[in-house]
Amino acid sequence: MAEKLTTVSSPNDFLKWINPQLFAAIPLGIAVIDSDYNLVYANKAFEQLFGTWKNRKCYNVYKSKDEMCSYCESAMTFKDGVSRVNEEVGYDKNKRHINYLQHTAPIVDENGNFPYIVHIFTNITEATQIRDEHQILYDQVPCNILLIDKNFRIVKANKRLRDSLGNPEGKHCFEALKGVKHKCTECTARQTFADGQIHTGYHVWKTKTGKTLHLHVITVPLKRADGSFDLVMEMAVDVTQTLKLQDDLKFAHTYLQTIISTSMDGIFAVNEKGKVTIFNPAARKFFKIKDDQIVSREELAAMLPKGFWAKVSEQPGHVYLPETEVKTNDGETFPVRLIGNKLMADDGSIGMAFSAQDLSEIKQLEREKLEAERLAAVGHTVAGLAHGIKNLITALEGGMYMLNSGLDQESIERVQKGMEMLARNIQRISIFVKAFLSFSKGREIQAKMSNPADIAEEVVELYSVKAEELGILLKNEKIGDIPPAPIDYESMHECLTNLVGNAIDACQMSNGTACHVTVRAFEENGTIVYEVADNGCGMDYEVKKKVFTTFFTTKGLGGSGLGLLMIKKIVHEHGGSIDLKSESGKGTTFRIRLPRRRLPKVIEKEA
Amino acid sequence: MVMRENKKILIVDDEQDILTYFEAVFQDNGFDTVSAEDGIEGFELAKSEKPDLIVLDVTMPKQSGLKTYRQYKRHPALKNIPVIIVTAVDDSFKVLLDELEELELPKGIFNKPIDPQALLKVVAGILSD
Repeated sequence: MAEKLTTVSSPNDFLKWINPQLFAAIPLGIAVIDSDYNLVYANKAFEQLFGTWKNRKCYNVYKSKDEMCSYCESAMTFKDGVSRVNEEVGYDKNKRHINYLQHTAPIVDENGNFPYIVHIFTNITEATQIRDEHQILYDQVPCNILLIDKNFRIVKANKRLRDSLGNPEGKHCFEALKGVKHKCTECTARQTFADGQIHTGYHVWKTKTGKTLHLHVITVPLKRADGSFDLVMEMAVDVTQTLKLQDDLKFAHTYLQTIISTSMDGIFAVNEKGKVTIFNPAARKFFKIKDDQIVSREELAAMLPKGFWAKVSEQPGHVYLPETEVKTNDGETFPVRLIGNKLMADDGSIGMAFSAQDLSEIKQLEREKLEAERLAAVGHTVAGLAHGIKNLITALEGGMYMLNSGLDQESIERVQKGMEMLARNIQRISIFVKAFLSFSKGREIQAKMSNPADIAEEVVELYSVKAEELGILLKNEKIGDIPPAPIDYESMHECLTNLVGNAIDACQMSNGTACHVTVRAFEENGTIVYEVADNGCGMDYEVKKKVFTTFFTTKGLGGSGLGLLMIKKIVHEHGGSIDLKSESGKGTTFRIRLPRRRLPKVIEKEA
Repeated sequence: MVMRENKKILIVDDEQDILTYFEAVFQDNGFDTVSAEDGIEGFELAKSEKPDLIVLDVTMPKQSGLKTYRQYKRHPALKNIPVIIVTAVDDSFKVLLDELEELELPKGIFNKPIDPQALLKVVAGILSD
């Protein structure tokens, strides 16, 4: 019920205003209860907070309870007439949870009794909430908080600090936290006490269990309104773990750096922006780049084999070149095994890494091995040469015998026979010497891009007439396509000619069943293969053993007479291998294998 | 059966000119000859001609001399025919001798080029027994 406003006419009249108006104007809730806890009066502010109150009990209105509070302040005041202030928890008119301060004061009558009690309410819900939040913050923040006074005693410490170091309240900070008897030389608290400013620093504390903690510290003065202060708040963040991680990281980095820089393989990498981030000493050595020189992405890509950089950056996974060459800084080439990897993290590419292995030593070993094999072949050749020469000498002696005995016996036939033998064998000597000289020379094949299948076709063509005459079935089987390859056409032609000639001879030797010779040319797994197979007389174990070494065929339809030894030499110089399968009475198959990656470099001939 | 007057010698060598040469030498000295250009032919001829002596080149390609030698020595009708081996490579006969094991050794070993008189002497010595 709104009271009519009373006007004030004189200064003493303010009491007239206060009594009726004040009650309604006060922003604090005020209520009056009787000794039965019934609400008999309440002001506007009370109604705004707690809602309707007529004919209701106070415990019902404030706390939604149906019976008295177990610890009732009002009950005590009804007894002793003493005023009280308490922090209470209840519900507002919307049933929302509230915190409030309740002043409980008795109304005294003339007889000294307390018929009524006045309740005055201050809503501190928000303040309480903020206070609770701050307390949580204070205790639970991952940071040690302490309050230090001018004597460097710890006045207050938060829960975290108390839990980890025991309760240091009352002790000197240097003693409680560090276990030392005197102030620290670099004390941020001292600095703050001196100039009233915030200071940061770094401290090392020792726990009771002897563990060492490293902390980042901030000290803040707790200033009053006039700028004076008696306390500083020190906030210390434990960075022990961070420091340890930093150390671990540094160690891991140094370790990795050492591995990379001492590796004998060239290791180089670029980040996702293409900047060259790693270029180890071995790589500098391979590419002939000085220690202080910076390599750009373009320079690096140009030194790698054509198309390699692009291929690595396109596809995930690695690109592998088992035998290739890189260009060095001074324009030379360097043989390496090369691997490139596109590096991927969760959200995309983080760059590319490469590894190059020096093949120059391996290549040198290969060359030496080839040379040793060649020398061994020459050694065998010399022994085999003796065989050939001795036969020739014997034949020449034979010719002389026929000549002389023919003259003695006056047999013209015999004399003529002798002359023939002499003439023929003298010619054979010169052919023999020529062939041997060409064999004993070092590398002399000249590779040019040729069609491997063509060679086989030509050789078969060459022998086709002869084979037909002898009733031998000679055919060329081309299986699939063979792309052009660097081969010395003439030399390989000679090899196949020899093999086909031998095969035809073998067929001639065997009598009976129809004999065939098949020449095959194909490519399998990057290797070009020639096969010459016959089903002639075959070779027994002992002949197979010696076939590539001691035996020359001075027979056959081939030319030079150095036969199989020559074939082996030519095949080796193409980086390939030759083997044979033979069974006595069943036939023989020779197989020449030329791995593409070991074929010789093409010689650029002038037109 | 008529007794042959002349002894028959089988010559096995892969060089035609050498066969011609030896045949002439042996014939001039009263021997009959048959010749073969490789071990296979040599074995067949030995069986059909039953020579009194075999001169065998052990450094032939098509069928190794050792194999041919073994064939002779294991064949009941041929094993008693004396064999002279001829070689154009110095060490090969040593290998041959090593590998002979239980077989009978040849009656003579000659290195090419051969002195025909020396050969005739040994042949005469063997065939006169």
